[in-house]
Amino acid sequence: MRRRPIAGLLMAAPPVLVVAVFVGFPIGTAIAYSLGHVGGLNTTIARIARDQHTVDAWWQQTLGAYADVLADGRVLRDLLTTVAVTLVTTVVVVGLAWAIALYLRLSGSRAAQVLAAIAVIPMFIPVVIASWAILTFYAGDGFVRSLAAILGGDAPTLGYTVVCITIAMIWTQLPFATLMVTSGVQAVPTALIEAAADAGASFPRIVRSVLLPLAVVPTVIAATFTAIATLGAFTVPYFTGPNAPTMLGVDMAAYFQSYNLPQQAVVIAVVVFVIAAGIGALYVWANLRAARAAGRA
Amino acid sequence: MTATGRVLGGIAMVLLAVFIVGPLGWLAVRAFATGWTYPHLLPDGWTLHWFGEVFADPLLFSSIQLSLAFAFTTIAVAAVICLPAAYAFARFDFPGRRLFLIGLFATNAFPKTGLFVSIAALFYAFDLMATFTGIVIVHLLGTVVFMTWIPAAAFAAVPRSLEEAARDAGARPLRVFASVTLPLALPGILVALTMSFLASFDEAQGTYLVGAPVYYTMPTEMYSLVLNYPRQVAAVFSILLSIPSVALLLLVRRHVMGGQLAEGFQLR
Repeated sequence: MRRRPIAGLLMAAPPVLVVAVFVGFPIGTAIAYSLGHVGGLNTTIARIARDQHTVDAWWQQTLGAYADVLADGRVLRDLLTTVAVTLVTTVVVVGLAWAIALYLRLSGSRAAQVLAAIAVIPMFIPVVIASWAILTFYAGDGFVRSLAAILGGDAPTLGYTVVCITIAMIWTQLPFATLMVTSGVQAVPTALIEAAADAGASFPRIVRSVLLPLAVVPTVIAATFTAIATLGAFTVPYFTGPNAPTMLGVDMAAYFQSYNLPQQAVVIAVVVFVIAAGIGALYVWANLRAARAAGRA
Repeated sequence: MTATGRVLGGIAMVLLAVFIVGPLGWLAVRAFATGWTYPHLLPDGWTLHWFGEVFADPLLFSSIQLSLAFAFTTIAVAAVICLPAAYAFARFDFPGRRLFLIGLFATNAFPKTGLFVSIAALFYAFDLMATFTGIVIVHLLGTVVFMTWIPAAAFAAVPRSLEEAARDAGARPLRVFASVTLPLALPGILVALTMSFLASFDEAQGTYLVGAPVYYTMPTEMYSLVLNYPRQVAAVFSILLSIPSVALLLLVRRHVMGGQLAEGFQLR
């Protein structure tokens, strides 16, 4: 890699500036707004908002908006729902991705390839449509209930439940995780797997001691992307979930647009950011570890 | 592979296929249905009437045009802004290189709804609410990571020896880039462009927050469509909205499955 400090900085600057101006900067002002600062860029939004908690000088802070949000039992309940949906989605998605990856790596058959291809389809379906399709599939008059009725049984109505949110989140997040984990597992040299098998290692042992350690980085990337996307989801819970409990993404939009309480909406956003930042740190750690192992850092 | 293994694999495949494709098929059939009686697995009758209804509705038709306009504008802007940066990340060493890469990724680390709520204050202040520019900016944010990281991995994977050989044969730097580097990195760039197009075409929550009540794209139109129109109309609309995505899928399937996408998300 050539040392070209000036050219490198100039060429890399545009996207970095876009992100700094439209992501970093708004998040900074949003955090200030949540703590009661209504001057500067927050002037316009503060003029139209209801029930704000404000401070008079830059060194003061108020946690009033945070107290409002905490006092609203719905938000706490929805925070728990969001965390639960995120956990279940992440675990199931990574588990399924690993199952597909192992099947593909160890059998390599045409069927395994078809299976992997099917798992990637949702990536190309708009989330709005996926949510709507999944809702109708699991609705009271949907396919699952119809099939059960024809077979003489009775299936529960999952439409407009938290279970349906989770199913739809798994559906939308599966492709990315599958691609990441599959490519990681495929990259493990066959010689290593065969050497372990020759030495008498069982199948679970090969997975645990050979495949898993060598594919840990793509797995962490898949898990973090899945978790962060689920935390911030709006469309899926809005379409497929019940009115209550729901996920924080829906609450945020409701506080912002329906109740005209942008300050409280920003408070919820800050809470979600803090959780996501923790997950994001995990991703950076995994990547740096891999870069170091490869001698690139 | 043992016989039990094959049977278990077969069952898993059928279950996964039903899980993934089932909802899409169930919805697609609805677009051609006159009506539906529970618990039948097929509609009462078949019709193409609902397609005419969508094309005759000026609101729905304009949202289709608007979606395409936003998607093409977004990928053009994203390509101009991000591709030079991707090359620099892959080939040049400069101060802050790794910090910038991680910083760009951080756009993905902020849950989208929270980000859009935060951006709203800025957009109000600069009068970008309910403007074309405002929506393009929102869409652009969803493409930055794809358009820098994936092409950067593609540029980094082009063998130096090939470029040097071209240079030894007397090719000038620009010629080397145009005839060697760019063609070899093209699959990665194509995957990035596809992902960006889809990201823009599918973006709903930010467009709704920033664009309403002036701009309704196809995905945001779906929000009201499912409440105010017969179910079949929403199904027809869904099929129309999926056509560009599925066409793109068929186009780049080989590269996406081949690991271009996965490669692009490893930090270098």
